[in-house]
Amino acid sequence: MTDGSVVVLAHGLGGSSDLPIPYTYALIGAAWALTFTFGVVALAWRRPRFDPDKPGRALPLWVTTAVDAPATRWVLAAAGLLFAAWVAMAAMFGTADGNPLPGVFYVLMWVGLVASSLAIGPIWRAVSPVRTVYRLLRLARLRDGRGYPRQLGYWPAAFGLFAFVWLELASPDPGSLGAIKLWLWVYIVVTLTGAIVCGDKWFGRADPFEVYSVVASRFSPMRRNPQSGRIEIGNPFNHLPTMPIRPGTVTVLAVLLGSTAFDSFSAMPVWRNFVDRQTESAATATMLRTAGLLVFITVVVVTFWLAARATGGVDKRTRRELPGVMAHSLIPIVLGYVFAHYLSYLIERGQQTVIDLADPLGHGWNLFGLGNAEVNYVLSLHPSVLATIKVCCVVGGHVAGVIAAHDRALKVLPTGYQLTGQLAMMLVMVGYTFTGLYLLFGG
Amino acid sequence: MTSIHRDKRLVAALAAGALLIAGCGGGGSGGAQSSSGQPSASTVSPSDMQNEQKAPDRLLIDVTIKGGEINPTNAQLEAKTNEPIVVKVDSDVADELHVHSTPDHTFKIEAKPGQQFQFSVDVPGKVDIELHHLEKTIATVQVQP
Repeated sequence: MTDGSVVVLAHGLGGSSDLPIPYTYALIGAAWALTFTFGVVALAWRRPRFDPDKPGRALPLWVTTAVDAPATRWVLAAAGLLFAAWVAMAAMFGTADGNPLPGVFYVLMWVGLVASSLAIGPIWRAVSPVRTVYRLLRLARLRDGRGYPRQLGYWPAAFGLFAFVWLELASPDPGSLGAIKLWLWVYIVVTLTGAIVCGDKWFGRADPFEVYSVVASRFSPMRRNPQSGRIEIGNPFNHLPTMPIRPGTVTVLAVLLGSTAFDSFSAMPVWRNFVDRQTESAATATMLRTAGLLVFITVVVVTFWLAARATGGVDKRTRRELPGVMAHSLIPIVLGYVFAHYLSYLIERGQQTVIDLADPLGHGWNLFGLGNAEVNYVLSLHPSVLATIKVCCVVGGHVAGVIAAHDRALKVLPTGYQLTGQLAMMLVMVGYTFTGLYLLFGG
Repeated sequence: MTSIHRDKRLVAALAAGALLIAGCGGGGSGGAQSSSGQPSASTVSPSDMQNEQKAPDRLLIDVTIKGGEINPTNAQLEAKTNEPIVVKVDSDVADELHVHSTPDHTFKIEAKPGQQFQFSVDVPGKVDIELHHLEKTIATVQVQP
């Protein structure tokens, strides 16, 4: 605790990582995934069932009123800003040891955001500190932006997400406070400048965290009625196709899926030995890891793009649109995979982060009595429970993805090609899931 | 994320104590610590002792750092929770040994042979043991409950 050197930490967080899942678990998971997939293709419904316009079960009106009240919005925004200021204080004046910044950055903002968005909807919009600063600037008579260029789509967000996973998985020292602070400064400057130049649409299209939050929220049972705007609880599969199709949608999802896979892969001794053998310096190792990360993401993009287009009976224009039209079916796969990988991080490192936040400067503060709290390693202490949850997440996400893809195929593919047109997509999804299980078992 | 910087003498004392305990636990095979001839990164083999004895529950990792060459790297090992893990280091350069368990441990390596560091892990997981300045992973230990 006395020496100032910054510890090189896996994921920037240190500590141990999850034990691999047992071989049998991977096999059973793979068998179920395969069975479900072909069961769905061969036996399931023949007419599309899911429709974003289908109403759900409306919650009482006061819920919507309370959520939409300007007071609620300002309270949430202020809470987000206050929290950001608290973390910024720790980042700037805290010690390297026990600093909450890496935990807030890698656990709460990355995995916690997904969990909360899945549970209650796109929360980042409401709490984003940069958005709040922008709103305050607007109150101070900032002029309108020039509008967001349509053709940019989600590309800036895809780039931002890549920058995040690059820092976590490929950069030389993901745990260093300096690196995280630099990343966050760039993020704040880019996001705020973008919003000032292009207007507040920038946040929804280009802020990586907001786009990630929107992606996760599309599989949430909580949604707004498309006509009345009332908050309701409905079938997530009706909600899923509301994922906006913009340039870069597939890439955003591929960055999320590919990077999670690369995370497991890069822990394998084969890869580590390869990196050690090939590289002399930290810079070349970083370049090699960057290349590896890019390869994983590219493989996801290319396989998904090809699989979505691999059908007969459609004209050129429809075929070009197919990858975007099918993209939402990747969301459950991404979510299942993210939870399989980072659930123990969220639960256990999340606790540690909250404890660290109670004493951000290392002065022995004891906010809310949290300083005395100890982390409950409930998942790590029960590896077989954790392994079961992981396999269920991967297989559950896969099954949901297959169901969503099947339903969308029935809607967009011409009669006569609905069965054959799905096959490539199903095979690719099985491929993702087998790879995922293999990495959880071997990585 | 608390790195524990243990006093080296304390480590040595602890190591000696744990060896004693491990030896007693193994039913008197406590003399198996002539580790200089051990193959790198293996559990203490009791085969050269009385063969009715169980292996003392202890993982010994023998590390040599010489002229920038590290042996072993990226070794895959297994251990149990609360089992003593001993890292024996012969080094010609000063470095830091980082153990990414929960919580993390940090040990100072000096440029000399025969240094021993001991720790045990009580939360199951995959634990990376790394050389901080040389930026190499010596071993990944799967700590099973």
